[in-house]
Amino acid sequence: MPTIIACFKWVIDEAYIRRGFSGDLDFSSVDYKISDYDRNAIEEAVRLKGSHGGSVIAMTVGTPEATKGVKDALSRGPDQACFIADADFNKLEPSQTAAILADVIRSRIVNYDLILCGEGSSDLYAQQVGARLAEHLEIPCISFVQKVDIDGGQVVAERRVEEGIEIVAAPLPALVTVLPEINVPRIPGVKDTLTASKKPVMTIRKGDLAPLGGARLQTVGMTAARMDRICEKFGTEAAEITRFVDALRKKAVIS
Amino acid sequence: MAGIWIFAEKREQALELLNIGRRLAAKTGTAVSALLPGNPDAARDYIAHGADEVLLLPPLAADQSCEAYLPVIVEEAKTADPDVFLCAATPRGKELAARIAARLETGLCSSCIALNYDEGGKNLEMERIAYGGAAIQKVTCLTRPVMATIPPRTFEPVTAEAGREGHIRKLPAPPPSRVRVLERKVRTRETRDITEAKVVIAVGRGFEKPEDLALARQLADALGGEIGCTRPISEENHWLPQELCIGLSGIQIKPDLYLGLGVSGQIQHVTGIRNAKVIAAVNKDENAPIFGVADFGIVGDLYDAAPKLLQELKRGS
Amino acid sequence: MDFKLTEEQELIRKNMREFAEKYVDPIAVEIDENSRHPAELFQKLAEGDWLGMPIPVEYGGAGADYLTHVIAVEELSRSCASTGFTVSIHVGIAAMLILLFGNEQQKQKYLIPLAKGQNLGAFVLTEPGAGTDIMAATTTAVLDGNDYVLNGTKTFTSNGPTGGTYLVFAWTDKAAGRKGMSAFIIPRDTPGMKAGEHFNKMGLRSSQTSEMVFKDCRTPRENLLGKEGAGLAMAMTGFDHGRTGIAAQSVGILQAALDESIRYSKERVQFGAPIARQQAISWMIADMATDLAAARFLTYHAAWLKDQQQPFSKEASMAKLFASEAAMRHTIKAVQIQGGYGYCKGAKVERLMRDAKITEIYEGTSEAQRMIISGNVLR
Repeated sequence: MPTIIACFKWVIDEAYIRRGFSGDLDFSSVDYKISDYDRNAIEEAVRLKGSHGGSVIAMTVGTPEATKGVKDALSRGPDQACFIADADFNKLEPSQTAAILADVIRSRIVNYDLILCGEGSSDLYAQQVGARLAEHLEIPCISFVQKVDIDGGQVVAERRVEEGIEIVAAPLPALVTVLPEINVPRIPGVKDTLTASKKPVMTIRKGDLAPLGGARLQTVGMTAARMDRICEKFGTEAAEITRFVDALRKKAVIS
Repeated sequence: MAGIWIFAEKREQALELLNIGRRLAAKTGTAVSALLPGNPDAARDYIAHGADEVLLLPPLAADQSCEAYLPVIVEEAKTADPDVFLCAATPRGKELAARIAARLETGLCSSCIALNYDEGGKNLEMERIAYGGAAIQKVTCLTRPVMATIPPRTFEPVTAEAGREGHIRKLPAPPPSRVRVLERKVRTRETRDITEAKVVIAVGRGFEKPEDLALARQLADALGGEIGCTRPISEENHWLPQELCIGLSGIQIKPDLYLGLGVSGQIQHVTGIRNAKVIAAVNKDENAPIFGVADFGIVGDLYDAAPKLLQELKRGS
Repeated sequence: MDFKLTEEQELIRKNMREFAEKYVDPIAVEIDENSRHPAELFQKLAEGDWLGMPIPVEYGGAGADYLTHVIAVEELSRSCASTGFTVSIHVGIAAMLILLFGNEQQKQKYLIPLAKGQNLGAFVLTEPGAGTDIMAATTTAVLDGNDYVLNGTKTFTSNGPTGGTYLVFAWTDKAAGRKGMSAFIIPRDTPGMKAGEHFNKMGLRSSQTSEMVFKDCRTPRENLLGKEGAGLAMAMTGFDHGRTGIAAQSVGILQAALDESIRYSKERVQFGAPIARQQAISWMIADMATDLAAARFLTYHAAWLKDQQQPFSKEASMAKLFASEAAMRHTIKAVQIQGGYGYCKGAKVERLMRDAKITEIYEGTSEAQRMIISGNVLR
């Protein structure tokens, strides 16, 4: 019966980011959420457990405040959580996150079969942690997967590639990153949330880890995205439609 | 040997990367090396398009996929020690780049949309989209090589130059890979490639039933364009194939004209149309976010406006 | 003093918000327009334990505290006040009273299905001639052998046409005055009990409201809730809970009015600038936000007192009075901000304004709340 690890990130909900007057980003009243596609990873792990038995461990690296995220993850069906927390873990770049996850998985979760990650996080969407983690652990990696199953000692997955779909197989243990199409994540019920905090959580501090390497990527700027457009509005009366089409013709985008 | 490396699965993506590669090489006075998977005949073509060196990756076994090149590329990169390594951000390209970066212990700027040397000419500053399109993140890489993945169609393809010369070198064949391809399903395109279209009519949630998409098709035909859609149309309603889904997790387009019909303008979708020359929209909600990013917007029901538009277009031509 | 919600409460709020956006928002206009009870939605609410929130797990509920229930009713009402109210009356009053006053057999038979959302609960008290003046009620229950026989007509019964379990109040001894009323649990399809036609109301249209007619309706003695003569006291306890629920519903309406007003005023351009830059508009929004905060604190405080097992009757009345009047006041402003667009069917503020009005009327009018509060503070 497989042991499945589902990795997730507790991220700023981008819907709460406001744009300041000078093009800066206002993070003063943000809320947090489980990164969108990581919900799919958790859901898929729980679904696989449903058909193959075994257990699911939800794992995250974040700041100590992310305890709510851990409960959120557990309310979605995993059996236990592994919470790697430190106040310094709010600005990790993908190479560091992957290294930390690898360190913990290698040292503390001896027999795992499958690691599931979202295809990318909904904050920075770097799409690297899954692939980098697989490299650290020296296990096969299958990315952008829309269908996955375990078949004996191997994982079989449908992944999306440039020309279409590839159905691939790899021996376990392996890592799979999932697309949002793979499932529809549940909305946890009230009971699910209330019982989440009764599930075991393994909390690991920075001091328990191997020394963290330096960042390889440095963020030197974060500004609000701008789109300067004409923003002219028209009605649906005949004259307005004519004016609209004329405007397009003047721009020479239609003949 | 330092220099700029590029890797792409397909020729058109390679030409876009060669364009950037040439620009960066000119700035730093180095050479451009292109990794060429599969077909060695294209080497001359790559050289004509700006590669100073072509590194040939031998063909793969039937059950192997692009990722099999990982150890070969990493070994070569360790020896050659490039300054910059650019990969096309296709699904396989993104995975391969992240794994190469992990093995080379370097940083990677994913889905980079702009890259320029800073004033000192030393650090390559790379821009990318963050927070679902709400922000632009600018990064630099502190380790070698500086790596980035570049979404297809972000940059223009380079034009060929007559009489260019370059080296061609063959890299060793890849070892067997642990991920085996059991089956390939090539997507049969139900429509033409909309990334090439001059006019794209985007279908949004304002459409009530799939039959009504005929309205969008008629407009597309009248304008010589193609149909695209927002994520809910392809992923939830399944009214159009997924390759027509425009946005952060779909395709990026840059037509002369984008016309959104019943598109609300969620930031994830808008991110995919930011490079359109002109953005136009029809939406009955005058407060729909699409109007904030559109050049020309018709406030009205698409079921009312689209037939009138069609008539006007036919009248004028 | 601690103003922080627990992580569980915050997550449940978030989950309810997601649920409401996914399942309620898309149908809110339609169920209002058609005055329709969305049975399919209630099936989904039941699956998420939303219909049994404050009922202990052993009785089929989710085992949440009352504050959590109130937060969820608020979030649900932010999308659809009718749905929020239906949940509130079902579990906040009907199921809650069986939990508080029912015997074990009644809990097994009636509370568990209610908490699991297998049927809806209704609170049957108001009569055509007895609104605020509840002592003017005329429905009677006479013991005949082992059955009580009920006769009379009730009105404005929420969940009347759609209910499965009715808590019916009737005189067993009119002469005993306040100690003469009793409460009965009467399941749907009991001969002699009939729900009337669903009323065509101004607002709160998808909440199903009707008369309930009792004509020689026999119910076995075992369906007497609590003791004979304790009905009015239980009804008052029901009101304490119900008013906290109406306050939560009002807070949800108010939040939605604020959401709508902020969105619209930032986007609507007149005289070359968003109307949010006009002081006339921005001050309306400032007042709205301030009253929302005050209403929310009053409401959460009442629920918190309930969870601390302290009396919360006065606080429930204050919360209900303030929140409902603030909801009415500000939904009118929200329509004003949106002008002609806000006056048209399909505009959310138009529905909010109609829905807000009832909060000043039911489960004790504003006037009745002032009687209760003044009676409390002048004592």
